[in-house]
Amino acid sequence: MRYAIIGSSAAGISAVEAIRSKDKKSDITVISDEKKPLYSRCLISYLLAGTIDKDKIWIRPDDFFKKNKAEAILGVRAEKIDLKNREVYLKNKEKVKFNKLLIATGSSPKIDDVPGNDKKGVFPLRTLAHAVQIQAALDKVKSVAVLGGGLIGLRAAYALRSRGKDVSIFVRSPQILSQIIDEESAGIMQRHIEKKGIKIFTGRYAREIKGKLSVEGLALDNGSDVDCQLVVVGKGVSPNIEIAKEAGLETNWGIVVDSSLRAGSKDVFAAGDVVEGHDIALEENTINAIWPVACEQGRIAGLNMSGEDQVYDGTLAMNSIEFFGLSVISIGITKPKKAIYKEIVKKDLSNNKYKKIVLRDDVIVGAIFVNAIENIGVIGALIKNKVNVKDIKDIALENYFDYGRIIKIIKDSKDGFREKEFRETILTL
Amino acid sequence: MKKIYCDIKKCLGCGSCEIACAVEHSRSKALYMAIKEDKLPIKRRKAQFINKSVAISTGCHHCEDAPCVAACMSAAMYKDKKTGQTMHDVDKCVGCWMCVMSCPFGALTRERQEKVIVKCDLCPDRDMPACVEACHTGALFFGVLKEFKENSCDTR
Ligand SMILES: Cc1cc2nc3c(=O)[nH]c(=O)nc-3n(C[C@H](O)[C@H](O)[C@H](O)COP(=O)(O)OP(=O)(O)OC[C@H]3O[C@@H](n4cnc5c(N)ncnc54)[C@H](O)[C@@H]3O)c2cc1C
Repeated sequence: MRYAIIGSSAAGISAVEAIRSKDKKSDITVISDEKKPLYSRCLISYLLAGTIDKDKIWIRPDDFFKKNKAEAILGVRAEKIDLKNREVYLKNKEKVKFNKLLIATGSSPKIDDVPGNDKKGVFPLRTLAHAVQIQAALDKVKSVAVLGGGLIGLRAAYALRSRGKDVSIFVRSPQILSQIIDEESAGIMQRHIEKKGIKIFTGRYAREIKGKLSVEGLALDNGSDVDCQLVVVGKGVSPNIEIAKEAGLETNWGIVVDSSLRAGSKDVFAAGDVVEGHDIALEENTINAIWPVACEQGRIAGLNMSGEDQVYDGTLAMNSIEFFGLSVISIGITKPKKAIYKEIVKKDLSNNKYKKIVLRDDVIVGAIFVNAIENIGVIGALIKNKVNVKDIKDIALENYFDYGRIIKIIKDSKDGFREKEFRETILTL
Repeated sequence: MKKIYCDIKKCLGCGSCEIACAVEHSRSKALYMAIKEDKLPIKRRKAQFINKSVAISTGCHHCEDAPCVAACMSAAMYKDKKTGQTMHDVDKCVGCWMCVMSCPFGALTRERQEKVIVKCDLCPDRDMPACVEACHTGALFFGVLKEFKENSCDTR
């Protein structure tokens, strides 16, 4: 048996470990176009901020591949997948043969088509290399403009503010974090972040990045100009589906997979940011490009590649963000648009506290907790298991709400809460 | 693996487990000194109420497919391959709270000053975890599941 894995980040690494937990002998080849891929992508903004130093960014030791008896082809791009002959063609003209293939190619920053984005000093923030490049460019920089108010834009802004730069964020939407949280919680976060000296302009976007060779400023949509010497573009990501698409695998926004994470072929799997799959809360296909999903899918794909028969129940959007001591966690559907959804909100704005759950027919499908995030995981369990919460929905946002309060629901649930750890807690009830 | 189980029939929700846990994880490991430490020790065990009169003491369940491990972006949370325990390397923790988000039991607690997580470590310095030893009613049990079942569950 020969396994090949394209991509060696969250999903690829998890898959190597899962395969090796079941199959100690067969060949595993990992291909990555990054030379040193064993770092956490989520930590690159922490590195840029100076919150951690570089040795903390590695999530596996240097000898990871050796220990797992995997061949690593690093710094080389996979260019083509030949499904018929079961070969991956590499940029360096070599070929990798496989019996089972995992595509874990992740995603890339969306290119903002704003004119001037080719100037020196314009960066995305996706790879360790980007973080290092930005850091190296900082010396002569006084002001930074961040385009985009999503998670990565804000993390970049926070990092550069921590480096003492003057930071302005331009957000086209009327609120920050518009893909993740609702307007009210975004307002709480925004006011808090602004108090710490980051300027945020919502409903504003750059029409042009100005400067000769290097960035000198922005021309905004409202006709005004802004001085800056560095621009970070954080306009979201798009999945790296090209090689899968060219190979004839089913792709839509992402690579379409079934509940075993197979990409339409018995021996080809996909995991992580590149995957479009069933979303538990939305009950439709979507991409949830987040770290926990990549790790979990990588693990399950790896197990299934090695012959197990594991079912992946689906993804759930979830994010945890903290800026200057104020934390927000969101899970599932947080900005419902249809009348079938009901919301319950509890807030204490003077203390920056805000909690909301979103329900559909007495089943929780989403939640936002700001500045009081303890036990949101318990709500997450209710979302995942789709149980009726009629009996506890009125206390779900109280401070005393915790796991104890859902034990009866677990006991009464027939097909949910299958993990044995849940069952163990109700043995004596 | 050996874990801590709670017999709900016996748990009063008295909180002795919580105090013992906090003290065990203090610097002095003694109650009257622990409450005077600059940083109040944090409990990793929680006595929770199912309703007014029924309680359960919970903490980390050391899940086999631990969601906190999958969610951890800095590899601070990991499974010990030998013991099966869910371990936490505080030096790697960056305080992103991804584990808080993903733990269905609410078993992870934030240490907000240091920006790190604290969690049940099954008391590595002891034979019997402090919470189990402190439990007055015998509700808490440390051992393997089979033993717990024989001890505490009706075998009707
Ligand atoms: C700054 C930042 C902060 C983030 N913060 C969070 C957070 O707080 N929480 C969260 O859940 N998520 C966060 N994310 C998202 C998270 O990092 C991703 O969801 C996760 O990395 C996805 O893992 P993956 O393995 O699917 O893909 P990726 O991490 O994208 O890795 C794919 C790898 O495959 C390589 N590759 C692609 N195509 C080829 C090819 N043809 N040949 C060879 N190699 C190839 C890529 O270079 C890359 O190394 C953040 C991301 C960034 C950039």
